[in-house]
Amino acid sequence: MIWVAILGCAVVTYLVRSLPLAVTLRGRLPEGASRYLEALPVAIIAALVGPAVVAPAGALTRGAEPLAAGLVIATVAWRRSLLAGVIAGVVAVAVLRMF
Amino acid sequence: MGEGWPVLGTTLLVGTTFGVVARQSGLEPTEIVAMSLLVFAGASQFAMVQLFSESAPIPIVIASVLFINLRHLLMATSLKPQLQRLPLARRLFAAFFLTDESFAMATGHFRRGGRSLAYYFTFAIALFVLWNMATVIGLVVGGAIGDPRRFGVDFAITATFIGIVVLAIQRPSDILVAFIAALLAGALALAGASTIAVITAGALAPVIAVFARR
Repeated sequence: MIWVAILGCAVVTYLVRSLPLAVTLRGRLPEGASRYLEALPVAIIAALVGPAVVAPAGALTRGAEPLAAGLVIATVAWRRSLLAGVIAGVVAVAVLRMF
Repeated sequence: MGEGWPVLGTTLLVGTTFGVVARQSGLEPTEIVAMSLLVFAGASQFAMVQLFSESAPIPIVIASVLFINLRHLLMATSLKPQLQRLPLARRLFAAFFLTDESFAMATGHFRRGGRSLAYYFTFAIALFVLWNMATVIGLVVGGAIGDPRRFGVDFAITATFIGIVVLAIQRPSDILVAFIAALLAGALALAGASTIAVITAGALAPVIAVFARR
């Protein structure tokens, strides 16, 4: 079943990458639609974060994940480095979960 | 090409992280390698691992990946004037390697007045090779680490997503969109609707951006 999902994901990913290059669309997207599409990646990725921070392993967090998430936001905003944020987050969550 | 090194380095690290996280989640090595070879989209592959571990239904997995990658429609549209010079078969080949990184590098090259399409192909294919090598390194390492929760390794994927979002913020409304999406998805997951949480929150939150002032 996982293979069906992998192949399905490969197909839809290639379709969105190739469609604009394969066909010629007339006219431009309406302003509202392009704003929606521009905000979409941020929203989807943030939506993936929500459950893992608020409800890790399916139950309400005891506080370690939201605190670590805040630290990741601060670290990446300050250092502009993905790696620095990931290291800070992993170390923080490992320490905070001991309490 | 010199300015591409930070991107190539990050790709190596994120690809290795993907291999580790995917292996830790219990996916088979062949499945993990196939994801990097066929899907070749970082955020989507991390999302797939998370959704597989939650036993999400296949249509939900595919729809989530489609939503995450819808932005490529805009990127491909934006590169079209340059790629239009190529015959259709070459354009379709180029499309497979279109990622956030290759788009960003190629756009920078063209904005500086560059005309060479070899720049795009060289960079985009180097990213593909590197991403797949890193995936294999990660899954070998990932099989040897043991219980992921013990060292907080399970949080690496979440921290990676948070970092991607922070670096992608371009205007104030993006911050609002990100917080609303995360809180809505978290609330839905707590309420027991975890399979539709991501796609619902991800599709609704960008509506804020439509009505926000620039």
